[in-house]
Amino acid sequence: MKVEDVVCPFCGCLCDDLVVEVENNLVINVENGCTLANEKFMGDHRLKNPIRREGGSWKDVSYDAAIRETAEILLDADRPLLYGWSGTHGEAQSVGVHLAELLGAVIDNTSTVCHGPSILAIQEVGHPGCTLGQVKNRADVIVYWGANPIDAHPRHMSRYTTYADGFFVKEAFRERKVIVIDVRKTESSAVADEFVKVDRGGDYAVLSALRAIVRGKGDLIPVKVGGVTRDQLFRVADICKNAKFGAIFFGLGLTMSPGKNKNIRNAIELTEELNRHTKFTISPMRGHWNVYGSNEVFTWISGYPYAVDFARGIAFYNPGETTSVDVLRRGECDACLVVASDPGAHFPRACAEHLARIPTVQIDPHVNATTCLARLQIPVAVTGIDAEGTAYRMDGVPIRTRKLYEGTYPSDLEILGKIYALVKEAKGS
Amino acid sequence: MRFVLNTGRTIRQGSYVERKNSPVYREEAASLYMNRVDMLDLEIEEGSHVRVKSDQGAVVMVAHPADGLVRGDVFVCLGPYANFLVNPETHGTGMPDFKTTVVTIEPTTDPVPTVRELMEQCGGVGYEG
Repeated sequence: MKVEDVVCPFCGCLCDDLVVEVENNLVINVENGCTLANEKFMGDHRLKNPIRREGGSWKDVSYDAAIRETAEILLDADRPLLYGWSGTHGEAQSVGVHLAELLGAVIDNTSTVCHGPSILAIQEVGHPGCTLGQVKNRADVIVYWGANPIDAHPRHMSRYTTYADGFFVKEAFRERKVIVIDVRKTESSAVADEFVKVDRGGDYAVLSALRAIVRGKGDLIPVKVGGVTRDQLFRVADICKNAKFGAIFFGLGLTMSPGKNKNIRNAIELTEELNRHTKFTISPMRGHWNVYGSNEVFTWISGYPYAVDFARGIAFYNPGETTSVDVLRRGECDACLVVASDPGAHFPRACAEHLARIPTVQIDPHVNATTCLARLQIPVAVTGIDAEGTAYRMDGVPIRTRKLYEGTYPSDLEILGKIYALVKEAKGS
Repeated sequence: MRFVLNTGRTIRQGSYVERKNSPVYREEAASLYMNRVDMLDLEIEEGSHVRVKSDQGAVVMVAHPADGLVRGDVFVCLGPYANFLVNPETHGTGMPDFKTTVVTIEPTTDPVPTVRELMEQCGGVGYEG
């Protein structure tokens, strides 16, 4: 059976034009997908059933027993951490936030180690963004800053920028100028019209120099700023000022580098300066397919997009204190529920060591690094393959992912709903 | 020799991210990319094993040349190998310095650990499923 208009649950592009062939509860072919999508849909390597760590080995357990034990672990904890959420659908994320409120837990999503600093900057100075459709149809100048879309968002260039013909940009490849700004040469910089090589840690200074030039203070600029020559800075500023519509996309090269949230603030303020001359927008290249959704769902319910601490009975937000890496490195949480992410692989080692010390439960379809650190893992259906639900694209557009076949695994929503019911009953609320 | 470790996505890492027990994931996540001249200085070749050390610990990886990197910079895709070296300090931002870890690198003949072995060093128990 061929299913058309399938949404890909891998990266923040949420491409919705895939054609997927399914046979006997198995995806056998994917059309229109990138390498990442093909691997995601065609992969057949799921954990078969819930597992429990007993001493130095693993035993199979039933779903009911695993759900009951998870509820007990969370109820026994004084300061549980509920982490992950970006690899599942909005409906499950919503149950997660309510569960955190009921438990007085800290709940955090993967923005904490990707675009958390972008959110901090946006909270300071706002977000002059737009949808990807606007970029595709209007933008004649594209800037990728600290981002490598060919590896991380492989269809971003072909669907929305470099190679995507739009309503006002009939021949994208000829009409769009693409600028890549990075500390290293990448596959993406190789296809750029202009590659700006910045010294490591030099992004903030380069952003400030561009702001000064755009503001008409170019005479202040020295021969080189952050490893970039004055000539190139002026050339880039000119390209941007002369654009009919420009779009900056930035990645973790800005959020994780020295300056972090201040880099993003500076980039947003450069965008603001450019808007004195023409129309310019700026948007983060969101990584997980539904990390934007986790920010949306957390915010609807708690008022804050990530790192929300319910210990006081009200929602409290203080990145640097209530963020997962900080909670773990201080050894503060005494239990952790990991949903749809892999902090064992993607957090610093000291955090992984604390996850191994405390009772950690993982809800995830696959065996990953966190599996080894957990006491219990509950496998679930993969949203977008054998479960459905709402996700948010990197530009904030909600898209409903589809269930391609009726599988045997329960969804995140079902498992979390049962845990929530048990916790609610025990709390008598 | 002293280097600065940068981390980020590679398409191979992304392709195998849900198969962390696989040899391909291990090969990619434990690949250390560096400037060719730095490799000459260290007297290593493509495929040589190197011990990478930071203030957080040490891990053995496999060196590969990369033309896009300047001298003194090395790159490893995000994952458990790179994170063995990253300091958890976030300077009040919630975000560790994933792109600027100071490391030293020396040649070694020690084997590259598996993801399971790395997690066992963190106090975990491997699961081969």
